[in-house]
Amino acid sequence: MSENSITVTNVSKKFRVYHEKRTTLFESITGSVNRKPHHETLQVLDDISFNVKKGESFGIVGRNGSGKTTLLRILSNIYQPDSGSVETNGTVVPVLALGLGFHPDLTAITNIYQSSVLLGISKNDMAKKIDAVIKFAELEKFADTKIKNFSSGMQMRLAFSTAVQVDPAVLLLDEVIAVGDLNFQKKCLAVMDDFKKRGKSIVIVSHNPSDIKQLCDRALFLKDGHIESIGEPTAVLESYTNFMNAQDKRPYFKQLPF
Amino acid sequence: MTSIKEEMWKTRGILFNFAMTDLKIRYKNSVLGVLWSILEPLLMLAVLFFVFSTMFKFEIENFPIYLLSGIITYNFFKNGTTIALSSLSNRSSLITQIYFPRSIPAISSTFTASIMLIVELAVLACFMVYFQFTPSLTILYLVPIYVLAFVLVLGIALGLSVLNVKFRDIEFIWGIILHAGFFLTPIFYRFDMLPEYVQNILQLSPVVQIVEMVHHVTLYGTLPSLNSVLYSVGSIFAILGIGYLIFRRYQARIVEEL
Repeated sequence: MSENSITVTNVSKKFRVYHEKRTTLFESITGSVNRKPHHETLQVLDDISFNVKKGESFGIVGRNGSGKTTLLRILSNIYQPDSGSVETNGTVVPVLALGLGFHPDLTAITNIYQSSVLLGISKNDMAKKIDAVIKFAELEKFADTKIKNFSSGMQMRLAFSTAVQVDPAVLLLDEVIAVGDLNFQKKCLAVMDDFKKRGKSIVIVSHNPSDIKQLCDRALFLKDGHIESIGEPTAVLESYTNFMNAQDKRPYFKQLPF
Repeated sequence: MTSIKEEMWKTRGILFNFAMTDLKIRYKNSVLGVLWSILEPLLMLAVLFFVFSTMFKFEIENFPIYLLSGIITYNFFKNGTTIALSSLSNRSSLITQIYFPRSIPAISSTFTASIMLIVELAVLACFMVYFQFTPSLTILYLVPIYVLAFVLVLGIALGLSVLNVKFRDIEFIWGIILHAGFFLTPIFYRFDMLPEYVQNILQLSPVVQIVEMVHHVTLYGTLPSLNSVLYSVGSIFAILGIGYLIFRRYQARIVEEL
């Protein structure tokens, strides 16, 4: 058994940025006659290599658009990298953006089942844990409410507690902790601590330096798709805040009308 | 890339879950909702029966049963392909958050349509009782015929599910094809009422072949000709092959288009 739960080797990913996207069959037929280039390539991730050890929590920082979410999606097998490879040891559960791919027209309970089946837990196994999921998310009154009537905080709590009950080897959290209130955050931290003690890994994306400092054993600063610095959270955060402060010197505020 | 069959077995839980949620969303979680699936072909039947037996004076034996068996067979084709068409594009939030094999939505759509078919076949049975029509034992051949129809729908479903993400106007084009197909299939007329050269063209359609086979075994107590069986099997498996190739070509990058 290897020590790493995630090994990322030389991963690169390009995206096409469309100026005027041809989304219809008609347009792509007429477009093939008119050979003007209609897209350019954007290098979102450029030769990324790192690993996450078992029982470690790993932070990723970077400004908007630096490729953090793309990286998490590659880690969770949603995107395929153009080159390079990702090896994961055990199940990876991503809690990205809003929820766990919840369907707005289905109730909380149905969605928990759907997500956990997709993440590889059978419905019978989940049935034993479903009360714990609802209780942890503090949604006892809303178990039979459709997700479309949930606030984003409620969705996030539901997503987090479902992901925890699936009990994956790696938990990916994209801007998740900030959503809950203080008490919920405390509960999350306790759960994450327990996770690490059981030899499982957590990857955290956050804009809040103090979260990373508090939670992570190691961190990575992603800048325009490449690794700017990696290692001790304090050092990484220093280069991150320096970079952000340097950007901030531009007189944005003076342009605003108030 | 594992084969479709392996994917199916590995993820039959997801498959079942998708088929059930498809039905739930379609029928808004209500038992009354299922009535709509029965009501729709019956209303169609009433209109066509009125138009073609009183206005045009078509003389077809057991016309209500002839009509209904054609309508529900065509409905199976229509429902399966239409549900599959939007099965990937409707699940964009799920696909961008959790990995699952991309073929599952198309396959589960075909199962959803099969469940609807079974309900409609029960209505057909009630009709036979009401009109005191006793089919001969050849009606048992409906099972292999619908298995063949299942393969046809699955092939088209696989192709359409990915194409509709890439080209958003496929939805409208397919709607027109389905509409035209309804009139070009012997549902409210007998195939031999058509001029011979039209028959020669239309019998190339596997849907025409399947509807004719259904008529043979339910109404006339005869077996379809060997030629038509061989042609149907050949063309339907060719369509499955083409559908799978289209699917395989686009499936890896489909999530980036959503």
